[in-house]
Amino acid sequence: MTTFSDAADSFLAPYGANDVRRRAWSQFQGVGLPTTSDEVWRYAPLEGFTLDRFRLVTSPHAGPQSDFARHLAARGDVVRVVDGFLVESPALEGVTITTTDAESSLTGEAPLERYAGDAFALLNAAFAPATVVVSVAAGVALARPLIILNVTNSSTSFTRLHVEVGRGASAAIVEYLEGGEDALVVPLSEFQVGENASLQMVTYQRLAPSAWHVARSTGVLERDARLRQAVVGIGAHYDRSRNDAIMRASGASNELRTTYLGTGEQVHDFRTRQFHVAPRTQSTLLAKGAVADHSRSIYTGLIEIERGAKRTDARQTNRNLLLAPSAHADSVPNLEIRENDVICAHASSVGPLDEMQRWYLESRGVERGVAERLMIQGFFNEMMVALPADVAALVEADVHTALDTVEVSA
Amino acid sequence: MRLVIDDLRVEVAGKEVLRGLDLAMDSGEVHVIMGPNGSGKSTLAHALAARPGYVVTGGSVTLDGVDLLALSASERARAGLILALQQPLEIPGVRPLDLLAAAGAAPEGLRARMADEAAQVGLRNELLDRFVNVDLSGGERKRAEVVQIGVLRPAFAVFDEIDSGLDVDALGAVARRLDAATREWGCGILAITHFRRLLHELTPTMIHVVSAGRVVATGGPELAEVLERDGYEPFRALP
Repeated sequence: MTTFSDAADSFLAPYGANDVRRRAWSQFQGVGLPTTSDEVWRYAPLEGFTLDRFRLVTSPHAGPQSDFARHLAARGDVVRVVDGFLVESPALEGVTITTTDAESSLTGEAPLERYAGDAFALLNAAFAPATVVVSVAAGVALARPLIILNVTNSSTSFTRLHVEVGRGASAAIVEYLEGGEDALVVPLSEFQVGENASLQMVTYQRLAPSAWHVARSTGVLERDARLRQAVVGIGAHYDRSRNDAIMRASGASNELRTTYLGTGEQVHDFRTRQFHVAPRTQSTLLAKGAVADHSRSIYTGLIEIERGAKRTDARQTNRNLLLAPSAHADSVPNLEIRENDVICAHASSVGPLDEMQRWYLESRGVERGVAERLMIQGFFNEMMVALPADVAALVEADVHTALDTVEVSA
Repeated sequence: MRLVIDDLRVEVAGKEVLRGLDLAMDSGEVHVIMGPNGSGKSTLAHALAARPGYVVTGGSVTLDGVDLLALSASERARAGLILALQQPLEIPGVRPLDLLAAAGAAPEGLRARMADEAAQVGLRNELLDRFVNVDLSGGERKRAEVVQIGVLRPAFAVFDEIDSGLDVDALGAVARRLDAATREWGCGILAITHFRRLLHELTPTMIHVVSAGRVVATGGPELAEVLERDGYEPFRALP
């Protein structure tokens, strides 16, 4: 049996000793996989986790497509990514969609410095087929959302995505992840939103229940840029999603809504960092999740405000719904503020469905079980308002099908 | 249909609030409950709707002979008694249409019926598409409650201080809607109020004065005038 290490060596054979991929791999070997003694990985089911159960792929594998993906595709212009490979992209005026082997980070840092110490990001740097670059030219307003269908048919998928929205441009992008049976799915994304530009970025994760999903995204916002991001995590055995935003120039504003539904033995592990570098910048974060059965969720959010980022307004809210006595939700907000002239607020809650709200519904003639389902749906519906109108109803209905099987016992 | 409340005793937080309340009414009638603060008016409304924390310790409530108190909150609504709240709750993420469909309203033409009901009480149509009571003013919530009652058409509707938070015009529209309901489907209306102005356009069949958890006086519409002139003091029950 070949180990992951052997496979990595043959994967990297064509690349020179000083190639960034090789350096990423050796940096990974230095760092190693995280362990649960590391605080930020404390709840990950890492025991017995080994890369040897995964195989690297050098070409995409064809596979079936879900009805949902087909319906979603009809609501925008489709970019298709299979096993991390770009396999289809639309021809659109004012937008270029290409791939590049050049390793760079939109943050301006060298990629291996930016992601130093992040084992899974380093794996992505070593093994992503290429960087998929979506570039929206200055002043262009996309009429329809761009739909990225990101399917994993193989054992691993390392997608790397760069989105660049030029000055004054606006775009909505919906990325949908499916497949990933027994797979390791590691998307690494960066979004650069130019001066006075606007990006609405949605990630809807519906991977197979056996998948490991370790995602990381970074938004870089220029002057008066707007990034509205929504991340919905339903699938995967372990679903880790780290989403950062860097408000680099004044007037930039960021809204992030993350939502998760935990069932079975699932773990949803959401991490955020709202980093305010420049004055008069705004960020609003709402993280909401429900945990049922024996599942667990972790929300850890950091608001970081640099000295000089005066009149920054940063908000963070985390709400957790406990649907079973053996489900767990942890909420850890953190603040690092190095400037006085700011508004900063955070709130979090963990608890069962609200008894009075349930009674209100029952008092109209809604049976208890139905009332509970309506409230759980409502908990998620609130997050769907952040989605492009064309897509929201479709995603909402799909989330409801996932909720239909959830058992309420708390 | 006939609603009979007989010797009803209710405790809230271990304290007896209703102490043997009696009241009977028929479909199509309008009964009004008036009384000083703390007399048990709202407790009656909430106990009828099986609000958690309202413990019935004695007496009975029947709807055409059916024991209402043996039913769950939703069963009581479906059996024909619905409470419109003084302070309607926000249900984030749940749309009024979905609530009403789940409550048993026929789905066909439901949105149109809601729009028609909203028009009758002067509630802007687009507010029906917001989540239940979210981002609605106090007066809008009251009207939204009347919309729900209009769509669900219960045999008996209990209104807990429907008039608070409504301006004179809105109150007139709500009173006319309730008055029409008594004829449209023979709705029996049990209204709790502090104010006579509700009764200008909604003629009561009976007025009941409640004090210290009991009905201490019952009379026709003229009783409202007496109350306005003399206050509750002459009717105050011994504790």
